[in-house]
Amino acid sequence: MNTGPTEQNTSSDRPDGEAPAAGEPGAAAPPWKARWAAVQPWATLLCRVALAGILAFAAYTKLPPALSIQSVEAYQLFPSGLAEFIGITLPMLEFALALLLLVGLATRYVAAATGVLMLLFIAGIASAWARGLSIDCGCFGTGGAVAPGETAYGLDIARDIGFVVLAGIVMLWPRSPLSLDRLAGLYR
Amino acid sequence: MGKAARREARERLKQQRLKEQQKAKRNRVLIVVGAAAVVVALVVAVGYFVVMRDRGGGDVELPPQALQTDGSVVLAEDGASAPVLEIYADYQCPACKQFETATGSAIQEMAAAGEVIVHYRPVSIFALRGEPLGSNSLRGGAAARAAADAGKFVEYNDVLFENQPAEGDAGFSPDELKQWGEEVGIDDPAFAERVDAEAEVADRFAQDYAPELLEKAQGELGADSINTMPVTDLIAWGDENGVDSSFLDDTYVREILESTGAVNGRYEGENAFQGTPSVYLNGAKMGNEMYSASSLRSAVAEAEPGEPQSTPAEDAEDGGDGEGSGGDAGATPSTPPSADAKE
Repeated sequence: MNTGPTEQNTSSDRPDGEAPAAGEPGAAAPPWKARWAAVQPWATLLCRVALAGILAFAAYTKLPPALSIQSVEAYQLFPSGLAEFIGITLPMLEFALALLLLVGLATRYVAAATGVLMLLFIAGIASAWARGLSIDCGCFGTGGAVAPGETAYGLDIARDIGFVVLAGIVMLWPRSPLSLDRLAGLYR
Repeated sequence: MGKAARREARERLKQQRLKEQQKAKRNRVLIVVGAAAVVVALVVAVGYFVVMRDRGGGDVELPPQALQTDGSVVLAEDGASAPVLEIYADYQCPACKQFETATGSAIQEMAAAGEVIVHYRPVSIFALRGEPLGSNSLRGGAAARAAADAGKFVEYNDVLFENQPAEGDAGFSPDELKQWGEEVGIDDPAFAERVDAEAEVADRFAQDYAPELLEKAQGELGADSINTMPVTDLIAWGDENGVDSSFLDDTYVREILESTGAVNGRYEGENAFQGTPSVYLNGAKMGNEMYSASSLRSAVAEAEPGEPQSTPAEDAEDGGDGEGSGGDAGATPSTPPSADAKE
């Protein structure tokens, strides 16, 4: 989880404008580039806040923990001790990620972690689908078994792909206003 | 010291500065990422700790448990004046297991302290939901009822939930059910016999009887009315229409089906029974707060004393395995708040 973004960090001074390419007076940037440089921080801020809201809502609706455990167990992927641990800690993890995205701390890495989490969710849903289980994904609200006709795996996956895109935008262009990272001198 | 050398020195200086800048940036990144990791670890650890602490746990010296005429069980201190907590659960229902895990210990502690009268009312909402769900649910429920005869219902109830089969897996085999009985201290051979006999009935119900009944009812009543119909009404309809249910007579399988059918008429409006687990505090249905031991405790603490809406089984099977503790109080008549008002 750490190596991926770190590599990118060294090699991707281009898109995030940390070495402010757009601000350098020497290079006469093409107009679309200048416009993007102006818009990007706000676009990132929007994605950040949206992701934070989604994660916080997901965490809140998973409670109480007893039902979150049930949602995890319904996937029948983990032994019950592990399912219990995941069920209890997943809403907390989502809440913590939401908090960090909202305040903009370690933006790039938190976005990367969020993206990875969403990819894991997609994998879980796909596996439930492939195994022919009839469950609610438990993404928002509590999951568990549903009638065979009431599954929505395709929709759930499509939605999660959307969230991966949001996370990807924040990861590639972490520069945004109103962030603690700025106070720390990052992504100015 | 020529021009070239000076340029080289300048270049070196520039490189060095660049390196330092990069290093400073790397440090900032490390600090920020470290801070974020600490936040995540802290939130997750505190949350986990709070949840685990909320559950409580540890062995409780159980108060007397009294079998009721309808097969339900009341767990209460003798003469307790306390709110009544009715628990409707199906042994195959995953959310019931989670409810039990999160609050079981706390509920038993409260009962032991005379703070609550617990009314365990097992049902089988999965009886008609196909195999293996249906027979799992019925075998579990009937075995728990047999354990109540031995004065060990509450202990057995806990073991059943601990060993709940995953949804869609066959489980609660007669051998397991009998072994768990021994584990909770049931040594009456009647228990094992009963478990075997009930298992046969449960299997017949779920594998032969239910499919036949449903197929017939599907054609003549329609799926909608089947889904809203109490299971006992459906069985009665079957008897009138050539699907004989007499093999259920005098079985605990029938008793648990009757308990399941009866719950529909017991509550109305916002308290209407809609599935398991359903928990009622003095007849009022609880919401999600029931899944947290601490909020359940405070709800109970604020409620008025009540009376269980059932009649203790007067002909209490002596249930005395000589367990020493107060657990085998099946024989003590109705010292707990006597139920005068029945339904």
